[in-house]
Amino acid sequence: MSYVSLENSEPFLKCFEVIAEDKSCIVTDSVLYFSGKTGKGFITVAGISTGIEVLAVNVSMLTDDLTFSFLPSQNAASYILSIEEISIPGAPENELSFSLTAAPGDRSNSSVSITDAEYGKLITYPKDRIIRSLIVRVQKSSLDHLIHDFDAGAIAAILQSANKVSSISWPITFKYRLLINDFMTEIVQHPFRELFMIRNISILVEYLLQQFFIMDKLSIEGNYLSNQDTHNLSKVEQHLCLHYKKEFPGIEKLSRISAMSPTSLKTKFKKYYGDTLFGYYQKNKLEHARKLLDNKVPVKVVATEIGYSNPSHFTLAFKKEYGFSPWHYLNPH
Amino acid sequence: MKPLNPPSDNQKNDASYRFSEKLPVGLTIHCWKGTADQWSSPLPAYDEKDLVLTFLNYKGELHIATGNDPGQWQPACPGMGLLSGGSQALRFQSPSPVLLSAIVLHIPGNWINVFMKDNLNFKKIEQALEMEENIITCRLGRRQLSLFADIMGQEPKNKSNLLEIQNHALSLLEFFLCSRHRNLSAVHAAGGIDNEDDLSLIKEVESYISEYYCSDTFTVDSILKKTYTSYHKLNFLFKSIHGMTISEYIRNKRIEKSKEMIADNAKSISQIAYEIGYSSISNYILAFKKIYQITPGKYKKQMDSLAAS
Repeated sequence: MSYVSLENSEPFLKCFEVIAEDKSCIVTDSVLYFSGKTGKGFITVAGISTGIEVLAVNVSMLTDDLTFSFLPSQNAASYILSIEEISIPGAPENELSFSLTAAPGDRSNSSVSITDAEYGKLITYPKDRIIRSLIVRVQKSSLDHLIHDFDAGAIAAILQSANKVSSISWPITFKYRLLINDFMTEIVQHPFRELFMIRNISILVEYLLQQFFIMDKLSIEGNYLSNQDTHNLSKVEQHLCLHYKKEFPGIEKLSRISAMSPTSLKTKFKKYYGDTLFGYYQKNKLEHARKLLDNKVPVKVVATEIGYSNPSHFTLAFKKEYGFSPWHYLNPH
Repeated sequence: MKPLNPPSDNQKNDASYRFSEKLPVGLTIHCWKGTADQWSSPLPAYDEKDLVLTFLNYKGELHIATGNDPGQWQPACPGMGLLSGGSQALRFQSPSPVLLSAIVLHIPGNWINVFMKDNLNFKKIEQALEMEENIITCRLGRRQLSLFADIMGQEPKNKSNLLEIQNHALSLLEFFLCSRHRNLSAVHAAGGIDNEDDLSLIKEVESYISEYYCSDTFTVDSILKKTYTSYHKLNFLFKSIHGMTISEYIRNKRIEKSKEMIADNAKSISQIAYEIGYSSISNYILAFKKIYQITPGKYKKQMDSLAAS
């Protein structure tokens, strides 16, 4: 097990030395490639000179756990955001396998979390998993700057009220999944890394703020869900996200996955993710469709690709979601 | 051209309006809508080191020119982006009244210094800007146009969407730089094809061909399936760039490869034919003869006698 610990003032790049020594990796520029013996994939860092630093981890099949520890320090005026998507290889084909292999304490689920760096943070990436994760350390002043017209104090307030260690986490949604997907495929080759970073972080902040509004609402209603519930809900969410190419699985099947009654699944899901089960599934599906359309794939092919038997059904659904038809999207001029 | 006053309340229902926002990351965005002859650059005078990125959309005919030389009117096209120096004002001219919507993104010089100082790709773009008379253009794609429409649709006074505007603006900026970067690094832009999409398509197909042309399951159909294009379009593009159809291009590649293999003198003709993906020898011999006017066997003999002497 390799263990990397970082002070608040130390740059992320410093952790490369430790990992490279430990895992026989190849380091070029600001990217660290796993050589295959100890895992596959890469880790990359980037600093934007205004107090935002990003560590992107995209690895699979580590032979050993990898731990990042951000040491607590009194004068740390920064937040640590981490967005991680951890999946078990082979899980998408058979949803039964992951409910069997995921033991209760196993962190095989995916989450977003925000932590006050003052209290430190420990992030462990388990072995034999597919891990795609972003760790962002952002100084409070630059976060304020980024969202200066919003109530930046609200974040601090929510963090403080949450619990003693000033950390909140919640399950990942499809927006984060898509963002991470884009980020990992493009970051290494991107000609304008800095701009790419700023854009993605800005989008991330937008998502986080939306999330905070939902959290705010939840706390006003005084209706928190138990850990078991959130775990089960995230299983449902994962199922909906991964199976976007198939038909909507139906409430019966989802309620079996979540071990809840259909009615309570519906209400809890709506509360937690801010959307109905089908609405969530459909939005994710159409977002994938839009990605394909961006890549110049014809409408007919897109429709079959995302599991519509009839292109006109797809057109209708697309129009309902975005307000214009796919054809119109392809031919704007 | 009269300078346009900021819209007062009684002008709100008018077709023309504008709003300006300072984005949290340090850029300033100006949105503008009105008829082209009303346009005066909606910008205060900027520093020489600043850059201004303008996105335009309209219906009709329009010509643009930059500040300093009055004679140089260039035709514009709907859905385009223009990068110009901060001290250069844009001017517009049209034969008939054109309803124009524009997004102007002001990029301060010190912002560039902070974020892009060490970026070599960005330096290349700056150089290109100097060479091309202080104006660089590109066409927006469909995704960008929908972002454009999204920004234009925002309520000027509603600040809660500022982050969304910022994200869209950054996406547009990134798209512009990336497409310009691809253009600069593209090796050939021959045959009068200047369409960004088509060039990247050709490149993709070429690299696909050079990877798989020796496999016997490789067909033109597999390329079409992979790239989602039609046969006619691909043929048209290949003709205009390479002067031959796509199947001719593949055949040439295969025969060239086989010629090298013959020169190596390690394998028999029939072996070579199978290895480069021909299923029958006679087809291969015919194809070879068509290009080099000699059968591969005779060519081999020639090479052998050359090697012997």
